Amino acid sequence: MASTTPATGSFPSPYEVETLPGCEGWEEMYPYYGRFLESRREADEGRFWFWNSMHFPEPMPAFDVVCIDSPYQGIGSWQNRVFAVPPAMGIDWRVVNGYIYITGNPVLDPEKVAERAEVFQKRAGYYYENWDELYGKWRSNMEELIAELAALEVPDLPEYEPDEVVTGEQNTSFYRVQDAYSRTLRMGDLMWQHHFELLLLGYGAYATLAEFCKANLPDIPDQHIAQMVAGIDVILFRPDQELRRLARLAIETGVDGAFRQGRTPEEIDAELATTEAGRAWLEELEQVKEPWFHMATGDGLYHFYRSWLDEPSIPYASLIGHVAALQAGQEIERPTEQIREERDRLANGYRDLLDADAQATFDDLLNLSRKVFPYVEEHKFFCDYWFLTSWWNKIREFGALLARNGFLEDGEDVFHLTRHEVASALDELTLTWATGGKPAGPTHWPPIVARRKEILERFKEWNPPPALGTAPEKVMDPTLIMLWGITDERVRDWASQVEGGSSLNGAAASPGTIEGVARVVRSVDQIGDVREGEVLVCGSTSPAWAPIFSKISATVTDVGGVMSHAAIVCREYGLPAVVGTGRATATIKTGQKVRVDGTNGVVTILDGDGDG
Amino acid sequence: MAEAPHTQTLDALRAADEPAFGGKSSSLGELLAGGIPVPPGFALSTSAFHAFVRESGLQRTIDDALSHMTIGDVDSVSAASRTISEAMRHAPIPTAVEEEIAARYAEVARAAGEPEPPVAVRSSAVGEDSEEATFAGQQETYLWVRGAGHVCDAVRDCWVSLFSPTAISYRARLASAPEPAMGVTVQLMVDAGVSGVMFTCNPVSGDRSMIALNASWGLGLAVVGGEVTPDDLLVSKVTGEVVREHIHSKELEYVPDPRGRGAVRVDVPAERRDARCLDEAAIAALVEVGRRVERYFGSPQDIEWAIARDAEVPEGVFIVQSRPVTTTKPAAEKPAGGDAMSMVMATFGVRSSDGGQR
Repeated sequence: MASTTPATGSFPSPYEVETLPGCEGWEEMYPYYGRFLESRREADEGRFWFWNSMHFPEPMPAFDVVCIDSPYQGIGSWQNRVFAVPPAMGIDWRVVNGYIYITGNPVLDPEKVAERAEVFQKRAGYYYENWDELYGKWRSNMEELIAELAALEVPDLPEYEPDEVVTGEQNTSFYRVQDAYSRTLRMGDLMWQHHFELLLLGYGAYATLAEFCKANLPDIPDQHIAQMVAGIDVILFRPDQELRRLARLAIETGVDGAFRQGRTPEEIDAELATTEAGRAWLEELEQVKEPWFHMATGDGLYHFYRSWLDEPSIPYASLIGHVAALQAGQEIERPTEQIREERDRLANGYRDLLDADAQATFDDLLNLSRKVFPYVEEHKFFCDYWFLTSWWNKIREFGALLARNGFLEDGEDVFHLTRHEVASALDELTLTWATGGKPAGPTHWPPIVARRKEILERFKEWNPPPALGTAPEKVMDPTLIMLWGITDERVRDWASQVEGGSSLNGAAASPGTIEGVARVVRSVDQIGDVREGEVLVCGSTSPAWAPIFSKISATVTDVGGVMSHAAIVCREYGLPAVVGTGRATATIKTGQKVRVDGTNGVVTILDGDGDG
Repeated sequence: MAEAPHTQTLDALRAADEPAFGGKSSSLGELLAGGIPVPPGFALSTSAFHAFVRESGLQRTIDDALSHMTIGDVDSVSAASRTISEAMRHAPIPTAVEEEIAARYAEVARAAGEPEPPVAVRSSAVGEDSEEATFAGQQETYLWVRGAGHVCDAVRDCWVSLFSPTAISYRARLASAPEPAMGVTVQLMVDAGVSGVMFTCNPVSGDRSMIALNASWGLGLAVVGGEVTPDDLLVSKVTGEVVREHIHSKELEYVPDPRGRGAVRVDVPAERRDARCLDEAAIAALVEVGRRVERYFGSPQDIEWAIARDAEVPEGVFIVQSRPVTTTKPAAEKPAGGDAMSMVMATFGVRSSDGGQR
């Protein structure tokens, strides 16, 4: 008789989580289907819900729910309806006190699994075989979509329609506003469709290599597997590479004096504009901006993660750092040759330790991973950074339109309405613009926005538990394992973690041990608080947080595996990192002394109450 | 040496000499042949032991004592062991053997550049069961022995260990009991500042990309005898980086007896107790030599090593013993190669029984 793993424990019921004081009625800003409804209590209490702090570390503004729905439509479509991954369909989400919890939908019927296996093998096989061609198509689809978004005009509502309407060259403005809004939403959906087309298969190839290596060489560090696969000329590194080039150019042309610590981008630009060499540098910068300044300052899923174009202080901080390093005679180039040699040395070294037949498999899996992995690394730039930061800006244009017409006090407030409420507000705006009637929007929406802002602020004070509901007997969903690192072991760790314990376990993502003062950073607007030498404690990071990594001494994250951005960047910077601890941001307080053991994946709180 | 039927220098020995010289001596010979740094020394063949028993008339005493013994009766076995050991301790070593030992020791002294260099005298078990024989107590080690006379005494003590109660019982339980015989290894001592053992694989997981290092202060006795909890390091054979480490408190160490002979156990001074006893350079040197030993023998090795006190590495690194690792997972348990694409499919939950298109 096959033995089954006993249930590993249970977590708080999502139905017993109390609403924070002063947040009564918070549910109305989220769609009904994202809530733990009484009507499905029995089913939902029996499921395993974990806080997706990797993508949603902060309470969810109403509009940003788009970035839950669309990605999960995308991931589910490809996983469940296109490839028919045998044991897993898609992801369900729920919201608790503004935080997003997710779970997978398993396929339990063995016959169904077998039926799906046939579909999967045929379709996934087609993708792997034609990967380069399909990725090429993907790139042009994305570039086309980004261009289309950039070209999309959000029209104003004029006093009188232009002559083009009279001559039939243009539709009326009410229609054009409505059309632009629905096209904007549909383009977002299309991006998320593209986003997941290749991602699962890319991760799957990598995960297979990792599993194969560990089966043969159980102690192989995850970071070595990552290093063997990691791309050398990855687009993700390009933006910072361009900044290094610009820093060198500044030195070579003698304009580096402008890049002084503490100066704003405007002050630097103003000084550069006074000399010919400075103006030449600024021209070069303009060349670099398209597309490399579409890099995001965060992982892209919230509207407040802007691009470098929107927040030039981020790339300028890097520029100032690079210039200072060059002036001090330091080497700032990414040592690509060394990375390449190390990558080959590792691959050959591990290969030599395998038996002859295993060597052939290793070669095949490594080659496949190297073929598909550039996508995993590059889609971030195209989708999450370039497209999404542009897309949020497009939404801002609608916010500005509503604000100009008194529906909102500030254009940014648009993000506190749901996408359907924005559609509704635009309906009324275009209606009353057309009819000349008096809109109710200006009295209707602002109080709603104010209330929601207040609730979100209160939500930020809450520490969401890492999991709710019932621990699964076994994690079946390959996506949860690959993308979120939700393994049986991780679930057990979470279940056994005593609140207030003094140590946390996670994945050993980048080796080394240091002790330092913790700095808990919950959102990107707090990165400015980080002091030299502190240990960064956060939900997750993105490589676009570049300026922070030259300051900190180690990183601890709530969610993520050894391929998460925090892990990749820390290895680049040689900083210890422990990722996927589940509750570092909830357990560790700013100011506490912690020991980060990136070799063994352990974080220990050494002393201090922190500042709370 | 004109005629030396009972001894041989270590570097002249190969695996084929195992039946005559025992596993330890012959494997040290192999290590030297492989260019591995091993302290110089010589080996006694089993013929020396046989000559000793024959010429001193001990055979009768041995036969007598054993025939009056009841297997399984602890007191009776101990009595037999005592009788034989006493007789052996008082029996002279044949002059020819004594002279050979003295001549070989003089060669070691010349190489060491001092008249009475310290040597380690160890038993070198013979036969396919030498592994088990080791556990059966037929392994003696005498450290920091100086002077030809004392070397002869230590050699005799090794032979005596063949008749320890455990060794007698062990042989008696075997279906076809071998004639007791033993080789002896005599090797120049390294005054080790640090010593220990290493496995050229992770003995727990069987991972061959790892080297497991145990290290403690002083002579190797403390680690091998399990008297200290050594520093425990797992080092990547591929990159040389320390993957895991547990630094323990090393309370005691063995050092040469300041009176000149033997080793004594002393407390480790507080300031060194909790310190990691290997630095980066020492780890790198050990990994390098471990890899060479493994490559030479073609299988994962269990190696005893020492680093000479105050010496530079890699010059100060010496290997004093190597044998195949016997405790790793058998290769059959490891997943072998297979079709890469099927494996990727399995990651997504496709089972081999699902058949399909591929």
